[in-house]
Amino acid sequence: MDDAALERALFALPLEEPPADLRGRILAATVYRPALPFKMWEVCLIGTLMALAVWLMIAVLTAVPDSSARLANAAASLMDRLVSSVSPSILGWIVVGASSAFWISQFTVPRALPARRNR
Amino acid sequence: MAVAFAELPPLVRMVTDDELIAATLGGRREAFGDLVERYERAVYHLSYRTLHDVEEAKDATQEAFFKAFRALATFKTGAKFSTWILSIAYHACCDRLARRKRYSYDELPDAADLTAGPEGLAILGDEARRLRTAIDALPEKYRTVITLYHLSGKQYDEIATILDIPMGTVKTHLFRAKELLRKALSDSVAEVRK
Repeated sequence: MDDAALERALFALPLEEPPADLRGRILAATVYRPALPFKMWEVCLIGTLMALAVWLMIAVLTAVPDSSARLANAAASLMDRLVSSVSPSILGWIVVGASSAFWISQFTVPRALPARRNR
Repeated sequence: MAVAFAELPPLVRMVTDDELIAATLGGRREAFGDLVERYERAVYHLSYRTLHDVEEAKDATQEAFFKAFRALATFKTGAKFSTWILSIAYHACCDRLARRKRYSYDELPDAADLTAGPEGLAILGDEARRLRTAIDALPEKYRTVITLYHLSGKQYDEIATILDIPMGTVKTHLFRAKELLRKALSDSVAEVRK
């Protein structure tokens, strides 16, 4: 086989046929990819703010003597005040309301079918 | 893109790659779809011929288009999109081959399944089948050059850019690849005659 014949045979070879789902996969991964809920600069900003908040909290906790014990005491006294100020009947109504809301949220209501387009 | 380009329908051919890229960057999704339609086959062919695995070739093709899409704004107007996308695909394949070599010595590319895909084999004639088997049996560097030669239609500079090697090396690899192919084909013809 000479060079020309080899080249003819080479260029006559068909290309591989891509699988049928490949184009859909590519488009789904590129142009039809769902947009992220946050933009990159928003993620960076939130991350920076959170890091700053954590740093500030650690700075405050380490600066004040017995800060963890004082924090626990404050939380306990707040809970005590809350429980003593709420009467049993109000607590009962809160429980009834919360459980009703929970049970209602568990029911599934069938959605209305979308209106058919006239062709 | 001699082979792939010739197969395009006339309407798709009328718009240039640069126009499609500009339209994509302008927010027209279907323009990128046209680019994918134009080069999907060539990119898949290169990936499949390099990796010899349908799933990996699909993943490499998807990865190439994904990387191209993300870096589309950096694409220089006037450069050839075909060269760029094939280069991205080739490097994606190289990464996969390197990973394969690292994790498994049984799946080296030259020891992989050397037959063409089942659909391909069914439609190929005897001579074409022998040629494809001979190409698949070539060492990786020669096989890639021959595959790109087939895809780009004798554009040595394009092949050199895609593979990031000097043009002289491309010509040497191509010369040796053709020699090996001729030898393999004449051997197989002699075997058939026996």
